[in-house]
Amino acid sequence: MFTAALFAVAVAMILCLLRMLLGPTVYDRILALNSFGTKTVLTIAIAGFLMGRPDFLDIALVYALINFIGTIAILKFFEYGTLGDESLEESE
Amino acid sequence: MRYHLVLRTVAKILIPLIMLFAFYVQFHGDYGPGGGFQAGVIFSASLILYGLIFGLAALKQVIRPWVVRVMLASGVLIYGGVGVASLLLGGNFLDYGVLAHDPVHGQHLGILLIELGVGITVAAAMITIYFFFAGRKTTKQ
Repeated sequence: MFTAALFAVAVAMILCLLRMLLGPTVYDRILALNSFGTKTVLTIAIAGFLMGRPDFLDIALVYALINFIGTIAILKFFEYGTLGDESLEESE
Repeated sequence: MRYHLVLRTVAKILIPLIMLFAFYVQFHGDYGPGGGFQAGVIFSASLILYGLIFGLAALKQVIRPWVVRVMLASGVLIYGGVGVASLLLGGNFLDYGVLAHDPVHGQHLGILLIELGVGITVAAAMITIYFFFAGRKTTKQ
């Protein structure tokens, strides 16, 4: 059962990768990257149960957090052109 | 980012939980996946999220750059100090067994202190990297 779930998530990840390569706008690519990260979280959790080590869930939790922060960082960079204060940009 | 109400609220909810999870990874590392490096990265991720949402100047009010520099050096000092202390107590460098009367307790204490030093240094290094990335001039035209 876990193997079938892993296969299904792998197919979904391939579809996300295709959207990331084909995406017409940059926001399509960012959305595909975000859902690819979510599916990576699912992959880590399923692989942990498949190998009989449920403490992989800790790692999945960390990956979810880092994925969230990374998406915010990418979006802020494309919106404001800086990772720090946007007031730096306004002063120029 | 001044007007993004949803992002600010979510960040205020998430930042304490991320810090708590970092401490869980730090002190539970003996029994599960985790350790000093991972805990340091998670802890600095919470502060980097604060800097992304509220701005670099606000983050520098929360944690001053000289505090980050002191943390950067003191973690290495703890790591080396444990090694030298075990040398002075008659063992090899980083031989934790001599740190307490019972070798098992010495191992526990030594690994806890080593991981603490690694965690402090890694957290400070990640925050320093963010300071220098975020302090650059804008690239947008």
